[in-house]
Amino acid sequence: MQHLTEEQLIGHYYDDGDALADAHVGSCDECRSQLDTLRDVLALVNHLPIPEKSEAYGEEVWTRLRWKLGNGRRRARVWGTISAIAAALALAFIGGMFWHARTQQIQQPATVVAHNTPPASAAAPASNSSSSSRDRLLLVVVSDHLDSSERMLLELSNADPKQPLDVTAESKRAGELVASNRIYRQTATRRGETRIASLLSDLEPVLLELSHSGSTLSPDEIAALQKRIDAKGLLFKVRVVSAQVSGQESATNSKTKGTNSL
Amino acid sequence: MTTDLAVVSRARSGDADAFRMLVESHSNAAFRVAYRMTGNEHDADDVVQETFLRAYKQLQHFEERANFGTWLHRIAVNCSLDLLRARSRADKHYGGDPESAELAGAAGARSEAQQDRLMMSVELQAQVAAAMERLSPSERTAFILRHFEGMPVEEIGKTLGIQVNAAKHTIFRAVRKLRDSLEPLVRPTACNT
Repeated sequence: MQHLTEEQLIGHYYDDGDALADAHVGSCDECRSQLDTLRDVLALVNHLPIPEKSEAYGEEVWTRLRWKLGNGRRRARVWGTISAIAAALALAFIGGMFWHARTQQIQQPATVVAHNTPPASAAAPASNSSSSSRDRLLLVVVSDHLDSSERMLLELSNADPKQPLDVTAESKRAGELVASNRIYRQTATRRGETRIASLLSDLEPVLLELSHSGSTLSPDEIAALQKRIDAKGLLFKVRVVSAQVSGQESATNSKTKGTNSL
Repeated sequence: MTTDLAVVSRARSGDADAFRMLVESHSNAAFRVAYRMTGNEHDADDVVQETFLRAYKQLQHFEERANFGTWLHRIAVNCSLDLLRARSRADKHYGGDPESAELAGAAGARSEAQQDRLMMSVELQAQVAAAMERLSPSERTAFILRHFEGMPVEEIGKTLGIQVNAAKHTIFRAVRKLRDSLEPLVRPTACNT
């Protein structure tokens, strides 16, 4: 007797209407036993639990979603302003930190000479704390930057590629993001944060293209941008790095708190 | 669903409250399909959000004769598929995503002690989750659509953009992989006789 192939067994399990296979299973112990095993295996998969969401889940989704829907232009203008201010503050802050670090590097040898025997234990924490502040600062600004970029990529990815899209506000916002993107990319490269630097380097051409797009994107331009975002898996990478940066940020914060409390 | 239709009509005419009602009533269902497909709670949350964003943008294309839940379900499947594809590309780029496997195993372990979770030991859950993780994105999608959603093979082919036969084989491959991984758990010994 010719037994059922694995494909036939699977087809039988999913009730694909193969009458011959159905009849065979009814009369063949071997195939019935194979089918039982298949049922048991798939029963395991059936019981793979799904995390239960609370009744408020829909509300939570809506809360996260609300700002992205409707009133886009007004919101985009507000975000544009906020991004510009944040970028300016971040630039000033980073500049200050680098200036501070450089001044310390220049001053330290003089101090060493003046005091002859510098207290090593005191110098090390000062330099550690300065470096950790810079790390923390970089993580905070990059995290905000990635959030803004993610929102923009999401808007583009979800745009209807069959219709032109008014991107007056987005284009302006992209221009601001390009400027900060460059600074953060260079800083990340200098600090050896290769993953962040590589992501920012992928992000830059998209932001640049959008910033030069004027007020309207044609369907072809939307499709090209979407293809570019998709081809590089940009949205996903932004999310991954963003999550990692947030993780690092909290780790750095708790480390600093721990050091401060000692 | 008649209620859904009325709410969808209001949402289409720009009523944000109506869209909020749709989000609130369909989020859990969207999450379930997204979680099954991605095997990861965080990804599933992202998919739910993208699903509604996409639905909102495409609301004008929704045919009122259709069922909103089914339509949204299709969007959630597509969003999950996009995410799986993107993840697969990123995995190649970054040399694997150890977090996914860990998450899949931990998905059960992060349990909230529900009754159904008690049906399997944590270890068993991890093995089943790991077996699901071994499926390629298209195998996983095809399997989920066939096994959990009961979607006909022709529909699965359309969703994945492949021929019916290819869809059929993708499902078979998925089931075979699962069987290879999980059969020892249901049939402890396989004698070479």
